Amino acid sequence: MPSFPEPQWFLALGRLMEAEGALFQRLGFAETRFVVRVIPDEGANGGEKLIGLVIDGYRLSEAASVDDLDRFDPDFVICAKRSVWERMLAEIAESGRPSLRHTLSSLALVGEEMWLESSDQLREDKFYRYNQTLQELLNLASRVSG
Amino acid sequence: MGTVHIKDEERIGSEARVKLEPSVYLQKLYQTGTPDLGWMNNMAEWGIRAKPGNLGLRLKDIEIGSYGIVPDHGSDHRSMAPRGSVIPEGVPSLGFTLNEKAEVWAENAAELYEEAVARQWSSARDIPWSELKPLPDDLERAMCQLCTFLTEVEFIAADAPTRWMSHMNQDFFEVKMFLATQAMDEARHTDVFRKRALANGGGLGVASALSELSLKRIFDAPSFSAQTGRLHLLGEGFVLTLFRQGEFIAPSRVDQEIFRRCMQDESRHVGYGTMHLRAQLKANPAVAEEIHEQLDDAERILLETFSVPEQVEPMAILMGGGIKHFDKGMEMQGQLWRRIVHEYLQRCDSAGLDRRPRCILPTDFSKLFEAPQNAVVS
Ligand SMILES: [Fe+2]
Repeated sequence: MPSFPEPQWFLALGRLMEAEGALFQRLGFAETRFVVRVIPDEGANGGEKLIGLVIDGYRLSEAASVDDLDRFDPDFVICAKRSVWERMLAEIAESGRPSLRHTLSSLALVGEEMWLESSDQLREDKFYRYNQTLQELLNLASRVSG
Repeated sequence: MGTVHIKDEERIGSEARVKLEPSVYLQKLYQTGTPDLGWMNNMAEWGIRAKPGNLGLRLKDIEIGSYGIVPDHGSDHRSMAPRGSVIPEGVPSLGFTLNEKAEVWAENAAELYEEAVARQWSSARDIPWSELKPLPDDLERAMCQLCTFLTEVEFIAADAPTRWMSHMNQDFFEVKMFLATQAMDEARHTDVFRKRALANGGGLGVASALSELSLKRIFDAPSFSAQTGRLHLLGEGFVLTLFRQGEFIAPSRVDQEIFRRCMQDESRHVGYGTMHLRAQLKANPAVAEEIHEQLDDAERILLETFSVPEQVEPMAILMGGGIKHFDKGMEMQGQLWRRIVHEYLQRCDSAGLDRRPRCILPTDFSKLFEAPQNAVVS
């Protein structure tokens, strides 16, 4: 079973996204390439993980480990420690969505536990333009085993 | 085919002031029975076969051959004859005054138009109104005051740019179509915040003379680009952050859905504004001074809004989670202020406007209350 943040885990989300066609069609298409950056907690083993994701309309068309951020050229990078990602996933597993102040947008707004990195504000703004799609995609995690 | 019965048919035209002249063409057609068909040999570029992409047939998919060329100077006929069609003699001018591409264009206009159409939502259908629960009185009053402010200011971003829309050369129809979606978005924002204020035991709060002043200045902007700097870059950029704050402070999922969806719409508007200014400033660097002047004044008015309690306190109450935690709310607002300034300046950078030396927004929120009053608002 793939587990977060392996690319296979994101690809499983992507398959659910396609199965949930109607929900994402109603939200409207999204076109963005971004990176999920998972930073190890203090004292934890292992380095950070960068997963490059591409949403092409109503599907997640790509999920792969990224070695070279510049080459992947993301619109934005969503950065958080592993424990913050895991808390969000635990809340999603519990009730289908994160608690009110733990959504992607809320956490990134405060900028302490989660933050965005981008070379261009216009590209970073895609995080907001497609925010509902990004959140709903992540909310599907409650149905990915592993 | 059955005959359509038209009420009082014998009365039609009985008092007409204009005499109907028979059509020479139709007379000939009925006499000879032979259609003219000359128009069939008078088509524009022919044989075009646009291919839909993975998201259907979008505007970018029909930017083919001569149809994909957006002229630097809009057509002299100044009519709505479609770009790329055969233009006959004698089409009347509609008097368009924005005829230079750089005056209105943004490279992302067509993309944002398609995205806006695809990502429309309904405040009646898509907000889970039935989940709305009574809130503590202070939170409900704060939310209603915030909604009053938002429902007051949102429609300016429909009313103001559409004043210019009718002056834009039709060759730049992608921009007009995008602005039409923006007007629709703002209608929805106006409606959803009014609905929210009236849906949970509260009502509207107090309107704002300062907000009205900033709206008036947007109306009075001397050019479309000047207005874009003021409206899309600063105004909507600020409101975008407010919507994000709204998503964060939402006391319920209903409020969260409202703010998140508005945030998505708003970032399209900011995206258009940034790209328009980028195109305009690249073509006409001298326009920068006009935009700077607008922003000098707009930044000043934005700072003035922090001089009245009804603008400051609702957000602090919502941020803190109630009057009891007002200080905490103010502290968070101070922290977020830095982000507002940072993102605004980043957008100016992205547009190609070096705003940093001229910007009067302090990066530190405490400057707003530590500095002498006249230093802030002069
Ligand atoms: Fe807007």
